Amino acid sequence: MNFWQKLKSDGAALLPNCREATRAQSERLDRPLPRTTRIGLWLHLLLCRWCRRYGTQIRFLGRAAHDHQDELAGAAPTTLSVEARQRIKQRLHEEK
Amino acid sequence: MQAENPSNPATALSDPERWVDEHGDYLFKVALLRLRDPQKAEDAVQETFLAALKGGKSFQGRSAEKSWLVGILKNKICDHYRKASRETTFTDLDFYTDEESDRFVADGLGQGGWIHERGPQEWPNAGESLDHALFWKTYRECAGKLPEKVAAVFNLREVDGLDSKEVCALLAISESNLWVMLHRARMALRRCLETNWFGKQA
Repeated sequence: MNFWQKLKSDGAALLPNCREATRAQSERLDRPLPRTTRIGLWLHLLLCRWCRRYGTQIRFLGRAAHDHQDELAGAAPTTLSVEARQRIKQRLHEEK
Repeated sequence: MQAENPSNPATALSDPERWVDEHGDYLFKVALLRLRDPQKAEDAVQETFLAALKGGKSFQGRSAEKSWLVGILKNKICDHYRKASRETTFTDLDFYTDEESDRFVADGLGQGGWIHERGPQEWPNAGESLDHALFWKTYRECAGKLPEKVAAVFNLREVDGLDSKEVCALLAISESNLWVMLHRARMALRRCLETNWFGKQA
């Protein structure tokens, strides 16, 4: 990459728009971001309350799902039906 | 098939039919949360017991036996995910092309910025929602709209809390693919819950 190309790509990373900033905020949860992207995101978040909200909300939803697995699973049938139980036992018996 | 032999010492060991009674419900619950389909969950539980039978181990304690079975089940679930991720449907493609285009400015000076009226809204007292059964029902329904493999990725990464590399290895996908899928999943879930829950709480 020559000097101008590098300057251009760094410049783009340093001034992300909201669409890019939402992506960076998600990726930040899964990997360390490259330095220019990190600085660009930081600058963007200083100025953009929409994206600050967005980040808070996706982190909230992830943490909620992780901490409340039983509620997420719900009260729906969480036990094997009698038929399923019988069928599985039968199958295991054949296999023995 | 072998005839029943009362003097067989194997009866003192893990009897597979006892597994069904002692661990069946728990395994079913684990499977249902991830596969979202009672039929598929039952199948996964059955496959787990069959694999366990072939593995033919015995354990001192119930809890060791349980975690051994859960380990097998999670492998079965991942097999299922891997199979599912080979099939891309048209609804999946829709999901990938969308990326909330209607919420960002399409061109001109503010290109790629939120259209303000449609940007993320304030979620007042978000934490209190966690106590409402209806919130979780909404969450489930929103997650249910994700394409199967995207939901699989979200479950492994966010619900189970595996790290990115583990998820990639389990599902045989690249990391960049993983990041895109997670980004889309979070975006879609956030939007769905804002529309169907937080937006209605005022």
